Amino acid sequence: MPVPARRPLAAVAAAGLLSFGLVACGSGGDAGDPGKPGDKTITVYSGRNETLVKPLLDRFSEQTGITVKTRYATTAQLAAQLLEEGDKSPADAFFAQDAGALGAVAKRDMFAPLPAADLEKVPQNFRARTGTWVGVSARSRVLAYNADTVPAAELPRSVFELTDPKWKGKIGLAPTNASFQAFVTAIRVQHGDQKAKDFLAGLKANEPQIRDNNVKIVEDVDNGTIPVGLVNHYYLGEVAKERGTTPDGLKVRLHFFPGGDTGALVNVAGVGVLKRSAEDPDTKAFVDFLLNPESQRYFAEQTFEYPVVTGVAAPAGVPPLADLDTPDIDLNDLDTLDATIKMITESGLVP
Amino acid sequence: MTTTTPEAGPARIGPARFGVRGSARRLAPRPALLAASTVAVAVALIPLVYLAVRTADAGAGRLGAQLWTGRVGLLAARSLGLAAVVTTACVVLGVAAAWLVTRTDLPGRRFFAVLAALPLAVPTYIAAFAWVSTVDHLEGFWPAALVLTLCSYPYVFLPVAATLKGADPAQEEVSRSLGRGGWRTFTDVTLRQIRPATAAGALLVALYVLADFGAVSILRTDTFTRAIFVAFDLGFDRTGALVLSSVLVVLTVLLLAGETATRRRGARYARLGGARRPAPRLRLGPARWPALAALLGVAALALGVPAVSLARRLASGVSRPGALAEVAAAAGNSLWLSLAGAALTMLLALPLGLLTARAPGPLATVLDRLAYLAHALPGVVVGLSLIFFGITVARPLYQTSWLLALAYATLFLPLAVGAVAGAAGQAPPGLEEVARSLGRGPLAVLRTVTLPLTLPGIGAGAALVFLTGMKELPATLLLRPTGTDTLATELWTATSVGAYAAAAPYAALLVAISALPTWWLAARGGLLDKEDR
Amino acid sequence: MSEVVLAGVGKRYGPVTALDGVDLTVPAGALTAVLGPSGCGKTTLLRCLAGFERLDAGTIRVDGREVAGPGRHLPAHRRRIAVVPQEGALFPHLNVAANIGYGLDRAARRGDRVDEVLALVGLAGYGNRMPHQLSGGQQQRVAVARALAPRPSLVLLDEPFSALDAGLRAGLRHDIREALRADGATAVLVTHDQGEALSVADRVVVLRSGRVVQAASPSTLYREPADEWVAGFVGEAVLLPAVATGDTARTPLGTLPVVGAAHGPVTVLVRPEQLRLTPAPGGAGVTATVLRHDFHGHDALVALRLADGTRVTARIWDGADPAPVGTEVVVHVEGRARAWPAPSGPAPVDAPVLPVG
Repeated sequence: MPVPARRPLAAVAAAGLLSFGLVACGSGGDAGDPGKPGDKTITVYSGRNETLVKPLLDRFSEQTGITVKTRYATTAQLAAQLLEEGDKSPADAFFAQDAGALGAVAKRDMFAPLPAADLEKVPQNFRARTGTWVGVSARSRVLAYNADTVPAAELPRSVFELTDPKWKGKIGLAPTNASFQAFVTAIRVQHGDQKAKDFLAGLKANEPQIRDNNVKIVEDVDNGTIPVGLVNHYYLGEVAKERGTTPDGLKVRLHFFPGGDTGALVNVAGVGVLKRSAEDPDTKAFVDFLLNPESQRYFAEQTFEYPVVTGVAAPAGVPPLADLDTPDIDLNDLDTLDATIKMITESGLVP
Repeated sequence: MTTTTPEAGPARIGPARFGVRGSARRLAPRPALLAASTVAVAVALIPLVYLAVRTADAGAGRLGAQLWTGRVGLLAARSLGLAAVVTTACVVLGVAAAWLVTRTDLPGRRFFAVLAALPLAVPTYIAAFAWVSTVDHLEGFWPAALVLTLCSYPYVFLPVAATLKGADPAQEEVSRSLGRGGWRTFTDVTLRQIRPATAAGALLVALYVLADFGAVSILRTDTFTRAIFVAFDLGFDRTGALVLSSVLVVLTVLLLAGETATRRRGARYARLGGARRPAPRLRLGPARWPALAALLGVAALALGVPAVSLARRLASGVSRPGALAEVAAAAGNSLWLSLAGAALTMLLALPLGLLTARAPGPLATVLDRLAYLAHALPGVVVGLSLIFFGITVARPLYQTSWLLALAYATLFLPLAVGAVAGAAGQAPPGLEEVARSLGRGPLAVLRTVTLPLTLPGIGAGAALVFLTGMKELPATLLLRPTGTDTLATELWTATSVGAYAAAAPYAALLVAISALPTWWLAARGGLLDKEDR
Repeated sequence: MSEVVLAGVGKRYGPVTALDGVDLTVPAGALTAVLGPSGCGKTTLLRCLAGFERLDAGTIRVDGREVAGPGRHLPAHRRRIAVVPQEGALFPHLNVAANIGYGLDRAARRGDRVDEVLALVGLAGYGNRMPHQLSGGQQQRVAVARALAPRPSLVLLDEPFSALDAGLRAGLRHDIREALRADGATAVLVTHDQGEALSVADRVVVLRSGRVVQAASPSTLYREPADEWVAGFVGEAVLLPAVATGDTARTPLGTLPVVGAAHGPVTVLVRPEQLRLTPAPGGAGVTATVLRHDFHGHDALVALRLADGTRVTARIWDGADPAPVGTEVVVHVEGRARAWPAPSGPAPVDAPVLPVG
């Protein structure tokens, strides 16, 4: 039968689709290529912000000649992406904002055990018991407060005092933030589920100011919109940086809960290596690099975080990690996230 | 596939007329068109397949436990409520603005035609952020409704203005001659004439609101989409988020069914022959001042607030974007990815749009509606579904620009299909038949008749997809080639560490580049034509 | 100039038979009208000729070459059969000259063919206009010129004048017939307007329910229609029951000479203009009462009732005042009547009035 004469557009569209497919296949060769061990190229999924870690990664490339292809997104999104990709992931390493995400990926058995030499540089409570991930920088939960509106004398001695009606409407929270979730899990580990539930209910009853993330809380505390807020300590540094000043130049101050209170939980950002790169020397070099003193100093100086390797000084303006009276909690014990999520969801603090 | 005898297709009664008039009734089977349309719909359905797979993973127990809760009901009610409020407001605002700039003697109406279309270039996350930076304690349902309305009313304004510009004034004249006053004529005749355009725009707005994350997250309104994003964050719980997304699909189906039920079918081909008269303009008299003030007020809220806020942020912060080269690279990537997305989307939309225009019927309607399903899904879900698709089916495309372009096609197909269907009306099949009877082969006819007549309309669809792609963030973050930054991702990078001053230039550039296709869209609708009097 | 021959052409749309074995010859260099009521299949016939539809049966030959037939379907663009659709369907994005040059190859477009056909349709100098700047009649002229330009084997005109007002129509169809003749084109005009078909065509083909009922010259068709239906369709008809005896028949109008010799009951056709009226009493003929006048300017139709109650219509031409309503006149028939055995088909329900122009 002769070619139907009346279908010109459809024919062209079909031809176009076909050629598109060819072009796409032709150009798609290397971008999804996971790369070979030792090819001087690694792919890192970074849940840590580009602004914060790109200078560090550039330094790594300079020093080692290894090209780092970095995917930046939120830690949660990257965790979802990794789980979706499974063992076909092109990633060599996952540089995550917090330990919970690393735990979620480790739980799927996607990480290779790290070399003992790397693990041993970091205190036991800042790395996975199974050795599948290791913390590279630490941050403490704090209460940010506005020095003008909240006298230091009135600051609570325990995070649990925040359920007192006198804080009604005055607390900033970011309950979708992973650090907050780790903190709630820590309450459950230390004090049991009932106390955690009561605490969340108390917070909710106090009509907290919910924010999307910690930066917004610190900003709002600084400009006086919110008197106090539960955040990680290093956001103060970020806000100061944007204002072109030091943390001392801001109205917002940090209050570290004393006496081993759960409110002073120390969490880490860390890294895990995907199984397929277990033997890749380039990826190993990357982990080594993150834990070397120079990089640890970078975290202290540029991101206001605590180094996790002993012998590197803490960031300016905050007490050294050793001086903090942190709660006695092993991050490995914070792996019952599901129950925490359920609790937070049921508390009504999140949609 | 090459059979073209009418018996092979749906039965049709009686012959088609020869000229342009009755061609819409022809239901000649178009197997190639149908096959290509099916490909397009298949692309649009990738996220649904993915959702089906993942929710099946979750198991019935979890589905039930997670979905049969008061919380889900509340979220659904709030999402639908927000969609209803925003859509209503957009229809009122969009129709009123369109009428003012096309049918009255409003001073500076061509300037206002562009001004009214421009908010399309402002992403909701920029607008919402600008509003919370400007007004303290702004949060909740109504502020979110305000911001969403300001950002999305051009979806109604543009098609309605174009329709009003092109509508035959004879019907209105008849109505007035039969004793209906100006207002009755407007409600009884004019509103009916623009009804299809209004409904199409309103549907896009409603779906846009369902899928929006930017405004509702910044303004803290707990809608379904926000709950889905939060579920991803909470304990990295992919399955929970996807189970919630399936409810969003159900809401979308309800919306689409509702819109389809109220829609009247029938292809509308351009009138050929006979000169088209411009409609007479209503003299506003003293009413022009409140009208002017209203349009200026809307522009001030939709464009002025973000502009002032960006400027303030730029002035108050010390962070600066990287080198000029970095900004240029991000702009280049945004352009390239959005262009690729627009091109691919149009390629997929072309057969589907032609099918709905040339062979309307139940099959075309179903395919067309299916293409809308993914439009209301949050970008993050569409992004994950394409990761799934890339990893399992199209591995060579994974983390290339093409997979992201495909994601844009999945997300924005409805924007393009509508434009193509409208454009096809500009090239009635009768014209192609005449051309062929004059000895030109199918490809020559395509090149010399069909494309010249339909390209402007197709271009309008491409422009819409392009600028929506420029603003897209969640799917872009998940699917962009590793190491590729766009204006939207740079904006996200900077704002998430509070480096607002560094973010401002990216935001400004994003709005500026998106403004170009927006301006063109306004010009396309004939809104900028000088009338010949 | 090409002869087009259709043999046994059939076309169905699902349960509907549009063409049912059409046999037809379109003579070269002539204008053939295909005439029929709405839904008779004439547009389908045109679409089959143009190549827009496939045949279900039969063959179409152009100059002996088969363009459609069993297992063969020459696509529209290879047939050299140009169409002029109802609304002209000019390409809105091309000016008049480009529209006309559309079917020409590049070299011919630069030649003077475009100007030639423009002049032929009376639009010399309009080449740079855009279609929307033309009136409806001008658009149709351009459409015809565009079809003529590539010198096709056949030009198909699909009711090209129906969208125009009456005054414009007459002049335009005359001009277009002249243009077609001057160019020596073979053409088929599809129309439901019998006046149009009779006045412009060299040959008229009457189509009913997908079949050819009669193909003849306009005058033969009018004087000797194949049956009562055609008689009524192509003009005002006075149909009378009669009894024939060879060359004559006894009718309510008296005994008339008939064409189509027969015996026994017949239906005879008399055209109104065959009836002559004289004031009663006087002359030979039957007496009738004047019921009504329909004045048409150049002529008038007079409705009459015969003594036996039969109603007939007469056309009168002279400027003299006709007999007033209610008076009696004597009716006399001139010329021969046409007779068919009765009953031989459906009588015309509503025979249209012939607009003579």
